[in-house]
Amino acid sequence: MKTISLRVNGVSYSVTVEPRRLLADVLRQDLELSGVHIGCAHGACGCCTVQIDGYPQLSCLTFAVQCNGAEIETVEGIGGHDAGHPLQKAFRTEHALQCGYCTPGFLMALKPFVEQAIERGRIPEADEIRDAMSGNICRCTGYHSIVAAVRRAVHDGIHGDSA
Amino acid sequence: MSQTSERPRNIGARVLRFEDPRLLSGRARYIDDIRRPHMLHLAIARSQEAHARIGEIDVESALALSDDIRVFTGADTVGLAVTANAEYPEVEFSQQPLLAQDRVRFVGEPIAAVLADDPYRAEDAAGLVFIDYEVLTAVSGIAAARSQESPVLFEGWRSNLFVERQMKGGDLAAARAAATHVVRRTYRTHRQAGVPLECRGVVAEYDPMDETLTVWSSTQIPHLLRTYISEELEWPETRLRVVAPDVGGGFGVKGQIFVEEVLVAWLALQMGCAVKWIEDRREHLIASIHAREHEHTLEAYLDAEGRLLGLQADISVDCGAYSTWPFTAASDPGMVAKVLPGPYDFGAYEATFRGVATNKCPVGTYRGVGRPSAVFSQERLMDDIAAELGCDPLEFRLKNIIRDFPYKNVLGFTYDEGSYAASLEKTRELLAADIAEAHRTRTSDETRIGVGLACFVEQTAHGTPDFTRRRVPIETGYESARVEMMPDGSVLVETGLQNHGQGHETTLAQVAADALGVTPQEIRVRHGDTLTTPYSVGTWGSRGAALGGGAVHMAAMEVAAKLRAIAAHLLQAEGQDIVLGGGYAALADDPDRHIEIRHLARAAHRNLERLPDGMGPGLTALAGCDGPADGTYSNAVHAAVVEIDMHSGKLSLRRFVVVEDCGTIINPMIVDGQVRGGVVQGIGSALFEQFVYSEECQPLTTNFADYLLPAAPEIPDIEVHHIETPTPLTPLGAKGLGEGGAIGPAAAIANAVSNALGISVSETPLNANAIWTLIQSATGKSETGG
Repeated sequence: MKTISLRVNGVSYSVTVEPRRLLADVLRQDLELSGVHIGCAHGACGCCTVQIDGYPQLSCLTFAVQCNGAEIETVEGIGGHDAGHPLQKAFRTEHALQCGYCTPGFLMALKPFVEQAIERGRIPEADEIRDAMSGNICRCTGYHSIVAAVRRAVHDGIHGDSA
Repeated sequence: MSQTSERPRNIGARVLRFEDPRLLSGRARYIDDIRRPHMLHLAIARSQEAHARIGEIDVESALALSDDIRVFTGADTVGLAVTANAEYPEVEFSQQPLLAQDRVRFVGEPIAAVLADDPYRAEDAAGLVFIDYEVLTAVSGIAAARSQESPVLFEGWRSNLFVERQMKGGDLAAARAAATHVVRRTYRTHRQAGVPLECRGVVAEYDPMDETLTVWSSTQIPHLLRTYISEELEWPETRLRVVAPDVGGGFGVKGQIFVEEVLVAWLALQMGCAVKWIEDRREHLIASIHAREHEHTLEAYLDAEGRLLGLQADISVDCGAYSTWPFTAASDPGMVAKVLPGPYDFGAYEATFRGVATNKCPVGTYRGVGRPSAVFSQERLMDDIAAELGCDPLEFRLKNIIRDFPYKNVLGFTYDEGSYAASLEKTRELLAADIAEAHRTRTSDETRIGVGLACFVEQTAHGTPDFTRRRVPIETGYESARVEMMPDGSVLVETGLQNHGQGHETTLAQVAADALGVTPQEIRVRHGDTLTTPYSVGTWGSRGAALGGGAVHMAAMEVAAKLRAIAAHLLQAEGQDIVLGGGYAALADDPDRHIEIRHLARAAHRNLERLPDGMGPGLTALAGCDGPADGTYSNAVHAAVVEIDMHSGKLSLRRFVVVEDCGTIINPMIVDGQVRGGVVQGIGSALFEQFVYSEECQPLTTNFADYLLPAAPEIPDIEVHHIETPTPLTPLGAKGLGEGGAIGPAAAIANAVSNALGISVSETPLNANAIWTLIQSATGKSETGG
């Protein structure tokens, strides 16, 4: 067992874990952040994506002990109880989710992409958006509406919320 | 009827989903989020052999791992099974024991149940269960199953047939005799599955306080699961509660009863505490439910004018190791036999269909159930016939399409009105430029464009008579709803449907809102919990809007009638027409005379002295909505435009167009989402997905690197166009929609590839290797021909 410190969604935790425990399991079970979802546990579907020190990472391919001292953000940290982050709002407006299981992973993978696009002031082309989500699988939507949601979130970020 | 024209209609409006904030914020609660005090975790030791007798099971090492380990084997669960009986003499009875008894029949079949305090340790211990196998010859596919040389998989069976039956109508011999053209082809689709991103999972807990067993399961059919567990464990349904929490996708996979669901319930009763099982992805890919492994040989008879006279079909499906409950191994092959006549007008048909037993994962339902394979064969055949006759495939379809409704098809099924010809004509218009471009590139050695389409009908919202005819355990086809207006005027809708992405929490609120004259936001929809919802068969078979929505409408109209009666009484306008809308009940002829609906609600519950004489308290209604005897028929045309690089064999999907008709649309945003999602699953079927087995029936596609799901970069935007032909057969005019998207793509894309390469594609998936091989044969043919 090893004791590590994590800062998750702005809160500091000290947890004692087996070295083999996945970050996804520690976030889900020890910290009760059940918005982290496990879809394949072999790094292929992107459901478990969280941000570690600002980068989207797969929490199913990461041991918790690798993250000692890291800053982690999960879906619970981005828009609160009412899902108020512009990307979350755009997902709702464009119907970019159905069962919702893959959704937190998409949000955490796409959030930096959207933020960078807003900074650049340019709405990305559809194929750029599709590439940005190529590490995430959605089995419900067919991706069409997720592309639309990303476009809307970037548009609203550049021009102000039109919704 | 009251006037409705001036009220805002919620049915038909693009209402954003009420369930979304929960799902977007991480507040949703899926099966793995269910945590109970003192919960034990189950890991399952599964068969590593496809077909074997089980010898000794050594559990000593597992037990020695730590004190909390408990192991159960088949010796502990004798007599407990999932039994998929059917009442036809031509159908064999099959039973999958909860834990294997003396024999295993597919890789992944559960052999031992291992419990521990911690899920990691449970898995460790399951890996230490040592099983002796006496390996038997595996039956590897349709041909092997039908061979006299192969072993028979079940004691007492005559052969490896779960089922072999016929369906027929009209005079096929006369059609054959009258034919000037006969076209015979064999088509195949391969093993695939729904693959929801959330795997299966079950939690069960016995509460000694009220002697109730609660089972949480990631299921589409909570009430049916309650009934099955009750019957198998002889436990009263009044003390059994099944809860489907948020479910991370189903697509039919979670629409059957699994041995694990009964096993976890049984273990919870044995242990007297909560037991949890969460399936991992490998388990899901090898041992949940597969579909689509079909072989169809079709022979079509045509007259000199190119009119279809008759069709003969021989249909085989590899159903894997066990028949499933409640649809059985007859489901896929029987569906194909039933739907092959499709949208075409002809008078003679004969189908022989069979489901064979092999040593692979059992086959069950996956979005479309048999229809994606049936439409693949039907629509490939239409193109192959058109090619033989030298006519345009779209014109050939228009010549044979059904145009007069209601139409009684060759098997006696009555189709309600649809827009079959109009959908084809609309598609022709939308694709004119692509068709022209395909012509121009027909002989290109660089890049070829191909256009293909699939035209189909989908029988949806099946009623009880349809299931009675099948004589399989599902037995019935109704949906129920309870609507209750509370004293504060807010409304609870309780549905027997289970919502796993379909948006029922929103669409059913829209339906009730229109009936009750309140806003959808004032309505809460509950589902998935047998304690709080009326008995129904659950969410599958494209029935949510048509039957679940129908039941909500019926119950809400009953509550609305009572509201009107109270309003008429309080407005001293007995016998006059009352309109509900905008939160008010008003006289139709004099809207200034009105009363707030919430005041009526309060009166009905709390001020009974204000009610008309003899009226009882409360504002609750329960309604059941059964499907029409032959269902209601949705129709669609799917069209694909492909671009093939003749050097590399790379296929790009340039366009995918859907023209569909599902009758009344409750929420267009959700309809488009269902269509697009289904289409992309169908594209996966057409291009990527296949479960591969070795000759020994070892699964070779056990992770997402080997079993390829469509990802965003390979997928185009999906264009959806609607034609709305409401059906008179359901309360709202809605036909079923959920599955249709997945039915057409394999056929449309295969037709597009055939069109591009000038050949006849006979199987899917059309992965890179398949396209490369087809190019070789197409160009080889053109070389020898030229």
